[in-house]
Amino acid sequence: MKTGFDFARWFKGRKVQRFLVIFTFMAVPLLLLFVFTYLPFGEMVNFSFYNMRYTGTRTWVGLQNYIDVFRRDDCFGALKLSFYYMAGAVVQLMLALYFATLLSFRVRGGSFFKGAIFFPYLINGIAIGFIFKFFYTRGFVLDTVLGWCGFELDQLPFWLRDTNINNISLVATSVWRYMGQNMVLFIGAIMSVDGELYEASRLDGANRFQQFIHIILPNIRTIVMLNLILSITGSLSAFEPAYVITSGANGTATYFVLMDELAHVTQKVGLASAMAVVLLGMILLATLLQKLFFKYVFRSAEDEDKGAGARRERRLARYARRHKTGKGELRP
Amino acid sequence: MKLKKVMALSLAAALTCSLAGCGNETAQTAQSSTTADSKESTETQSGGEDVLEEELGYADIVLGETYADLTASIKVMSHRTDLADTKFPEYIAAFNEMYPNITVEYETITDYAEQALLRIEQSDWDIMMIPAVDKKDLGTYFVPYGDLETVSEQVRFANTWVFDDLVYGIPSTGNAQGIVYNKQVFADAGITQLPTTPDEFMSALQAIKESNPDVIPLYTNYAAEWTMGAWDAYIGGSATGSAAFMNQELIHSASPFSDRGDGTGPYAVYKLLYDAVALGYTEEDYTTTDWEGCKGMINNGEIGCMVLGSWAYSQMVEAGPNGDDIGYMSFPITVDGKQYASAGPDYSYGINVQSSDDNKKAAMVYVKWLTNLSNFSYSEGGIPIDVNGAYPDLYSAFDGIEFVADEAALPGEETYLNDLNTQSELMINAGGNRKIMEIVEHAAQGDMSYDEIMESWNQAWSDAQTTLGIEAQ
Amino acid sequence: MKVFLFVKKAAAKILIYASLLLAAFIALVPVVSCVITAFKPDEEYAATNVMELPAVWKSFSPSLAWIKEAFANFITAWQRADMLLAFRNTAIILFFVLLGSIMTGSMLAYVLSRFKFPGNGLIRSLFLFASLLPGIAMQVSLYRIMYELDFINTLYGYIIMQMGTDVISIYIFIQFFENISTSLDESAIMDGCTYFGVFFRILFPLLKPAIVTVLILKGVGTYNEYYAASLYLQDKTKYITVATCLYKFTGPLGNQYNLICAGLLITLLPALVIFILCQKQIYGGLTLGAVKG
Repeated sequence: MKTGFDFARWFKGRKVQRFLVIFTFMAVPLLLLFVFTYLPFGEMVNFSFYNMRYTGTRTWVGLQNYIDVFRRDDCFGALKLSFYYMAGAVVQLMLALYFATLLSFRVRGGSFFKGAIFFPYLINGIAIGFIFKFFYTRGFVLDTVLGWCGFELDQLPFWLRDTNINNISLVATSVWRYMGQNMVLFIGAIMSVDGELYEASRLDGANRFQQFIHIILPNIRTIVMLNLILSITGSLSAFEPAYVITSGANGTATYFVLMDELAHVTQKVGLASAMAVVLLGMILLATLLQKLFFKYVFRSAEDEDKGAGARRERRLARYARRHKTGKGELRP
Repeated sequence: MKLKKVMALSLAAALTCSLAGCGNETAQTAQSSTTADSKESTETQSGGEDVLEEELGYADIVLGETYADLTASIKVMSHRTDLADTKFPEYIAAFNEMYPNITVEYETITDYAEQALLRIEQSDWDIMMIPAVDKKDLGTYFVPYGDLETVSEQVRFANTWVFDDLVYGIPSTGNAQGIVYNKQVFADAGITQLPTTPDEFMSALQAIKESNPDVIPLYTNYAAEWTMGAWDAYIGGSATGSAAFMNQELIHSASPFSDRGDGTGPYAVYKLLYDAVALGYTEEDYTTTDWEGCKGMINNGEIGCMVLGSWAYSQMVEAGPNGDDIGYMSFPITVDGKQYASAGPDYSYGINVQSSDDNKKAAMVYVKWLTNLSNFSYSEGGIPIDVNGAYPDLYSAFDGIEFVADEAALPGEETYLNDLNTQSELMINAGGNRKIMEIVEHAAQGDMSYDEIMESWNQAWSDAQTTLGIEAQ
Repeated sequence: MKVFLFVKKAAAKILIYASLLLAAFIALVPVVSCVITAFKPDEEYAATNVMELPAVWKSFSPSLAWIKEAFANFITAWQRADMLLAFRNTAIILFFVLLGSIMTGSMLAYVLSRFKFPGNGLIRSLFLFASLLPGIAMQVSLYRIMYELDFINTLYGYIIMQMGTDVISIYIFIQFFENISTSLDESAIMDGCTYFGVFFRILFPLLKPAIVTVLILKGVGTYNEYYAASLYLQDKTKYITVATCLYKFTGPLGNQYNLICAGLLITLLPALVIFILCQKQIYGGLTLGAVKG
């Protein structure tokens, strides 16, 4: 405590005050975090050692649930579906990058396009489920639109029935939903690139593609990589598209959908908990790898980050001044 | 700021309580229902249960006289979403003519089987349709209606939810298991004699398909999911003719899903589904079937038949102008030259043990009223639960066919089926929709033969028996 | 040469606009198909292709009778799903959850950024780690805790569960505090302010941009949250929210998409209106939130 912030030395009487403020301000958020995150987490780990249902008695089974997770075909079989979601994530990021680049330049109707592409992000999961069941039904929206393009109904697959294609249909809904959000993030990042660089490059006669490769991409690669890696960990825990559209039927049950089913229908609460712990382990591993990856492969990215930070502070300063809240001097 | 502190305090207090609650659970075979127990014990202290049992028995209630002046407000949780705006308000109005001071409210739930298990420990309902709980837990959640002998004198299928000789559930209605079909479609396809064996049934489907390609011979209702799980209801009496199969023999059978070679047993039941899908006698895209829509479709002759309990009959009749075309037939399995039909209870009413005394009384009165005076069974085409009620007309389709009502599990084995279901994940007659949906999927994709599927079920079943130490032959 | 350049430029322009139009089309088609379907009465829905424009649009007249006819599905859906109640509940939930998470987030960030004390770093890591935990997986055990707390089937229980802060909000606030000079705090303390006074009177008002960001991020999430809402707000006669009221359409309506579409469009409408009004803030908030998170 002695190493405290400067105030403490200046105002010894403030020590109690200081303690009070730290305690009262942290009590509620920490309590909430503990009760609704760490307590259930601990309980979940605890459950994973039992053979139990929601109600009734439970028996200690040690590591049996974990052995089952690794022995069962369906658990890791379900993880294979994650590859679809990873591929989808890559496509999503590339599309987002493409449209972000287009829309960062002056485009007629730019804000309309931006809004239209972004809007799906604001739709709730249950609505998504209805919309796409409707969308993919035989002879309905998708088939009609493809019909306009000259396809005959007989040439088209059953989007949700054919197991070769139904996971792709589901991943497509995820791309549809989140691509706009990614795009908005990238636009934000591109906008924070110094405008003078574009000017200079234009004077050098660079075209847009060259600008993209030589100016935009190097400047936003941290956020792109960050999003890529987030999407990959996200793919492991893919849940919503399969849950709301097909409820995991017909070979679309991802790891979490399977886990949800085991927990709620079969009531193998212990096994479901063990599955969750195993997946958490994998996510942590992926996160760790990401950290290492950043450290060794993208060391130079750090510099970019600092620059971005400074630029952001400048923006904030401008913002603060505009809103006449500029009582506080901003740190250099 | 103040609010924050209050919340923080109450949270902290609540947390301490909950931790204290968790402390009891450290023992290896601890009860996870500690709070349910404690809530129950307060109930007993306040003089609730023991007295109630004496005062209140289902058999003693005389409708219109007992508790005629009782004022209470009760809530019923039901799976019948389709009746929420139609029949239920009518029942409430009719009931209130006799008991004007008892207010009844319904809540209907779509994914009932799952939701009910979550809500069973809550106190915000008075009557629920009993979901798949362990029989030994019945007393934790529900009020007993009386002993089996007394209740059986007034109620059919009274043995459905019994533990320690006490009845905890009164069935809402009873069903016979058969197939609902469109007579006109069958006639147009030249089928004069209803099929009585799997082979005859398949040729009937083929005949329908050939006579009119626009008609779907057998509609699976795959997307509704619970309609798939309903196939389990046929593997007992209908497929074996044995009343003991479901609750006594199945649990001790090492390979219940093997081919018996004579077109009977569970194997023959699910095989109908597999073959019908594999041969293209079902709808094109099973993933987008429409449960509400199918009623109108069979009424209009766009569907040949659907494998659904007798409760479905009246819904199909009322779904369009051609109600006369709808018929009901027995499941096409013949055991030793004789056809059987499983007949059993639908969901049963259970009364919340946590409800106030007045609500328990009102709930029991309402259950009795529903059973004896609501005509629910008749409007649903079900078997009346009141022992004095006569079978509705549709059951004439079962002339010459013997009804088989499942016998209860043997004493000491009440939990076996439930345990095996969970362990094997087959969840027979307990929401195991997924396994039957997989039959449809494998049949459509052709990536797994029917025998392989049944073999994997046998494997899961006998593995579960080994794990649980249940004897099997 | 000049002609060639001109052609190349024009081709590029065409390509750009074509791809943008295509993307906007794909983004909007699923929603537009719902709009079309929502205006069709049952018979028309059954008889026409889903993308065929509803007949009622062609007979437009600015009369009450026309409105009643055109919006019949919306009225039915509104009543069937009890949407008035849903919107009321969601409004209550949004108000308290947002209030709670902004207070908890900013207070925690204040302490973490202004004071050095043992455990400061640990608390940050705890929140960071919490964001990695699979939420859906923990529902099984969280359910038991909610049950022990008697929080099931109560709005306040759901609100308290949701109002905790998260790592992204904390980072947004911390970043803001770090951009506000500590000399401001110091002079206020000199004037005799307590730490509480410093926070509530001086710093909190300065946080406005960060608050807007958190409001948006958390608001979108809360408005659309359905998994926990359907799990813990079980009594669907009392506690439906805008997101969960759509469940009412899964049962008795079957695949009557004309009604379902009308219902889900009603739930989208507030989101759409707010989006159009505060586009700038939403984009800005998202960017700020994600860059830090």
